[in-house]
Amino acid sequence: MTTPPNAAVRTEAVWKVFEHDGIAVEAVRGVTVRIEPGEFVVLAGPSGSGKTTLLNLCGGLTRATHGRVWIDERDITDMSERRLARLRLERLGFVFQAYNLLPVLTALENAEFSLLLQGVDDAERHRRVTALFEKIGIAGLEDRRPGKLSGGQQQRVAVARAVVSEPALVLADEPTANLDSASSDALLDVMVRLNADLGTTFVFATHDTRLMERAKRLIRLVDGAIASDDRR
Amino acid sequence: MQRLRLIVRLALRNVRRQARRSALTAAAMVVGLALLVMSRSLADGAHDEWIEAGVRLGSGHLAFQAPAFRARHAIEEHLSSADRAAVEAALADTVIAPHLKAVAPRLEITALASAAAAAVPVTVIGVDPAREPAFSEMEQRIVEGRYLAPDDHLQGFVGVELAQRLRLRLGDRLVLTAAGPDGAITDQLVRVVGTFRTAIPEVDQSLIHVPLATAQAWLGVDSGVTTIAVLLDASWNADRFTRRLQDALVARADRIAVLSWRAASPELDAAVRMDDYGDYVFHGILFIIIALAIVNTVLMSVLYRTREFGVVRALGLRKRDTALLVLTEGMVLTGISGLVGLLLGLAITWGFFHDGFDLTALMGDQMTAAGAVIDPVFIPQFRVVQLVQSVAAVAIVGLVASLYPAWRATRIDMAEAMKFEA
Repeated sequence: MTTPPNAAVRTEAVWKVFEHDGIAVEAVRGVTVRIEPGEFVVLAGPSGSGKTTLLNLCGGLTRATHGRVWIDERDITDMSERRLARLRLERLGFVFQAYNLLPVLTALENAEFSLLLQGVDDAERHRRVTALFEKIGIAGLEDRRPGKLSGGQQQRVAVARAVVSEPALVLADEPTANLDSASSDALLDVMVRLNADLGTTFVFATHDTRLMERAKRLIRLVDGAIASDDRR
Repeated sequence: MQRLRLIVRLALRNVRRQARRSALTAAAMVVGLALLVMSRSLADGAHDEWIEAGVRLGSGHLAFQAPAFRARHAIEEHLSSADRAAVEAALADTVIAPHLKAVAPRLEITALASAAAAAVPVTVIGVDPAREPAFSEMEQRIVEGRYLAPDDHLQGFVGVELAQRLRLRLGDRLVLTAAGPDGAITDQLVRVVGTFRTAIPEVDQSLIHVPLATAQAWLGVDSGVTTIAVLLDASWNADRFTRRLQDALVARADRIAVLSWRAASPELDAAVRMDDYGDYVFHGILFIIIALAIVNTVLMSVLYRTREFGVVRALGLRKRDTALLVLTEGMVLTGISGLVGLLLGLAITWGFFHDGFDLTALMGDQMTAAGAVIDPVFIPQFRVVQLVQSVAAVAIVGLVASLYPAWRATRIDMAEAMKFEA
């Protein structure tokens, strides 16, 4: 089989089976998908359809039971934890439903977390985070701890943390689930702009119809398998 | 380096974040270390008292003897004037000399003491009256009369119970009979110049001090002695100085044995060790309490932050960095608690016991331990090495106790962690 190079992420007949009280639950069933660089993709489906699990498989947060997963054409299926951590640090960004900022760090420190792990120097980190905060409308909040930020502000900081190191792929799990309409729209504007300006690939798992409407590609999952895959 | 700085920053803030939980754990460690410091300083003070009392009545912190003397206790196993000169030269070592409190040459022999009333076996020690008082402090134990003076010749300083048994009074004569180096029996007449009481029955019933020159002339050993006893400024210097002196006198090893108080007074050594072992058990219990406190706090903190660990792992923190973060939190907690506990222990010990830990109400004015009469007031001893050991022990306990929580943090499943609600 020949595969065009440079897929941001792709899977081949990937399965994820969980054991619950001795019962096997097939969360993802033989999914083959290829996401190109610069795409703005939404994985949609009802609860239990396997979209979060597929997102986790694509991000190397969980291992496939069968099948294979490539990030930036690197096969992560059997990759060591150490190399996978390195790959996540250098190539991926994550946005989670519950913001998941570290409460002991300020907004700026949260946003620069990946850059610190990458060893970027202080001045460069500060320059990049400040510029990004300006771009996504949270300038002036750098020194606030997460507890002093609104939900929308926290999620923007989380987006800043995900994109500040300019990863090839950002995976976002229900990023608007805890936000009101205005905050959701503002956040989506930010991510659409980042996708357009930086060419960052975004893959979302969501129920949010507003997000689905803005997707350039909508993949619907039902019972762990792809039911439809529409490009717009 | 930035990674390490980030880990330390996170650790410090996490410890501060759970202030109440950290404070409770810290309190357990602070109290534990304070008790440890207090118990060790008092135990060291008590042991020093035991050892000091024991070696003053015995053969010192260090003793130079002929190798066969301890086994045979025979007068022919004595040190010659050349041996004594070699010992004096070795003691002039610039490392050792500043630590010398007293050096006492002695000629010790088993003899028969005869008076009008009876004849009993005794231990006769020929001592230098000018040097001996600083060593055995016999002047402080006088019951009647006085101690030997430098110009004394035919005087004897006699245990009070021995004097009673022989019905001797001050000025009375007694005859000492012993075999010389050649085996010939020889007598020496002495007059009782004073009596003493040590409160150790076997000493008070059988010991006589006579002038060294008198004993040497009586037994025909010229300037020979059976023991050169050395008193140091601190008992803990004895072992290292023994090794140093053994090295210095290696050429005369067949003539001169160097013994530390541990070898010269094995019963005293055993008593101190037994007491130490008891302390170790107490310290072990303290360490277990401290370890449980740390494990509990750090593990609870890890479990409470399951989602956070999932996030930082997802963002690229390696497993070993995650473990290092938890270990650092444990060590920060231990370090702060250790410092506070150390200062608290020193303050409490000094505040309450700087005049001594007085056991008089329990033990009376004098108590005996391992064949030595000791003052029932123990002065705590603060030794840097002991304090460093205590802090190091607590640090190791902190590190070991943080290992399991650290391991647990590395086992957190990232995908599952995202579902975790604290």
